[in-house]
Amino acid sequence: MRSAARVVQAFVLVAALAALVPATTAAGPVDTPGFTKAFSCSACHGSAGAARADAVPILAGMPAWYLKKAIDDYASGRRPSPEMEPFSKMVITLGVDDVAAYFATQKREASPIKLDRAAIASGRTAATQCAGCHGQDGRGDQAKGTPPLAGQPAGYLLNQMKLFKADKRSPGDANLTALKALMKGVDDPTLANLAAYYASLGR
Amino acid sequence: MARMTRREFLKASSAVVALSGLAGCASTGGAPTTTSTPGDLAPNRSGRRVIVIGGGWGGATAAKYVRMQDPAIEVVLLEPNDKFISCPFSNLVVSGVRSIESLTFGYDGLRKQHGVKIMRESATAIEPDAHRVRLARGFLTYDRLIVAPGIDFQTEQIEGLAAAGDRVLHAWKAGPQTVALAQQLKEMPDDGVFVLSVPPAAYRCPPGPYERACQVAWYLKTRKPRAKLIVLDANQNVISKPALFRAAWQAYPNLEYRASNKVVKVDAAARELTTEFGDKVRYDVANVIPPQRAAAIAVQADLVGVDKRWCEVNHVSYESVKAKDVHVVGDSTIGIPVPKSGTVANSMGKIAATAVVNLLNGRPAPEMPPINTCYSWVSDTEVMAVINAYRIDSGKVVQIEQKLTPGQSALYAHHAEAWATSIWADILA
Repeated sequence: MRSAARVVQAFVLVAALAALVPATTAAGPVDTPGFTKAFSCSACHGSAGAARADAVPILAGMPAWYLKKAIDDYASGRRPSPEMEPFSKMVITLGVDDVAAYFATQKREASPIKLDRAAIASGRTAATQCAGCHGQDGRGDQAKGTPPLAGQPAGYLLNQMKLFKADKRSPGDANLTALKALMKGVDDPTLANLAAYYASLGR
Repeated sequence: MARMTRREFLKASSAVVALSGLAGCASTGGAPTTTSTPGDLAPNRSGRRVIVIGGGWGGATAAKYVRMQDPAIEVVLLEPNDKFISCPFSNLVVSGVRSIESLTFGYDGLRKQHGVKIMRESATAIEPDAHRVRLARGFLTYDRLIVAPGIDFQTEQIEGLAAAGDRVLHAWKAGPQTVALAQQLKEMPDDGVFVLSVPPAAYRCPPGPYERACQVAWYLKTRKPRAKLIVLDANQNVISKPALFRAAWQAYPNLEYRASNKVVKVDAAARELTTEFGDKVRYDVANVIPPQRAAAIAVQADLVGVDKRWCEVNHVSYESVKAKDVHVVGDSTIGIPVPKSGTVANSMGKIAATAVVNLLNGRPAPEMPPINTCYSWVSDTEVMAVINAYRIDSGKVVQIEQKLTPGQSALYAHHAEAWATSIWADILA
């Protein structure tokens, strides 16, 4: 019992010390299994999921259920991507639960990509048609299978909307028929405004 | 030993002061202690020191990831250059699409964010038995060493190449030669001939020479349409993404590709290259990428195999098969079924760092496979790519899958830019 109490004490101490270290140096302690498994992701998505590029989604704080769905869709080819298909297969081999749990618990850092204020304002108006499924705050809804959009880089969101519009993302997925029909009715400048608006949320 | 000049003494002293000062531990201050072994530039008091030789894609990543995972480990990075210049994307400097400045970064992130101690020095020798790295004016001891020196050129394998000096450039280490080659291309006569010589595999960046061919051909097509590019390839075929490159070259009728044309001689005065079969090719600009091997420090330390070219390593820990407590990452390695690419070096840096951290903490190195992506710019706006995923099987790296982009596009160019921005930050920020 005493040794168990010591272990707990030591754990609390380690946790307290870890909290004191700045986020940049404590992105992943060696004992978190997901940290090393996420090496397959970190070259592009960052070691703590804080992607810096406009085309790359931020994985920090992404709900585990959605990251696992995305990995599964990429690996099976349902969501075609020559880059993500091999890496998704690799993540599944390594253990997708660990990787998803790791990124879900990482603190979200705002994307450094600058946004246009006018685009955000226009996007806010246009976003009423998205809120029904993605929520007023763009946080998504697991029950509806809709991912959070808030705070993702605008370039990534725009690329995805264009892929939906052209039926290149998850082609033939019945769950997305209504979404794609909606996208087809939206012109590209409006899609860019929507991307800017959702990128601006939660910053 | 030769006497030190005053300047040399000051430089050596300041290196010691910098190291001791940054250590910030129980030592009494900056001055060298009297108890240290003569020549020891900074006594290793913690018993947990990792030295990294080379601040490129593999070495800089390794230095950062050791510190991220165990801030109690002291990390000393030996890198003679004060800036990191990215080889990936540097073919775009040759064609004038990007500036060299856009590929140039400092090491402040490693120093300030991660507490890596950086010495602007070259390692002159490794003494694995003594756990020492020799520098110009003394030595440093280590508990584990990570060797990431990159490649050197086997200039001696091409007659006349050394004598040609800077008249015939390789531009295969991004930096002054890259800028100089861009200038040579710009100044070439409008009806000139640019000859690009591709070395036999294995060499740094398998698709790199073919991407360079695209960039030179794109430049000539848009700026000097009467000029011509001849690619003399020592290999029997394009050795990376052949179908995608050949498709891209359809847009460049000014590009002539000759397989199995190994260049063996350079005559800079006559502006003529000679191939293995005795064919002579006249040029206005010759860009000869020489055969390569692991950098000199790895050869000197006898980390290379019987071929005297590349370093064989354990696939899990990246520890040299020839020297204990010495790990090797990046382009100087061989035997793992991965290309000599920046992404692979970055990947190896993380995995070796994790191995080192675990081993220094008395635990086994976890099994982690590397990844690879190679984006290639086929014009100023379009990119295609190859992607490789791996797993570890019975202690060896094996490929799960290789995938190519279905073609070239502006979307993949967008992805390539994103990859570069992200991975540069992963290495240095």
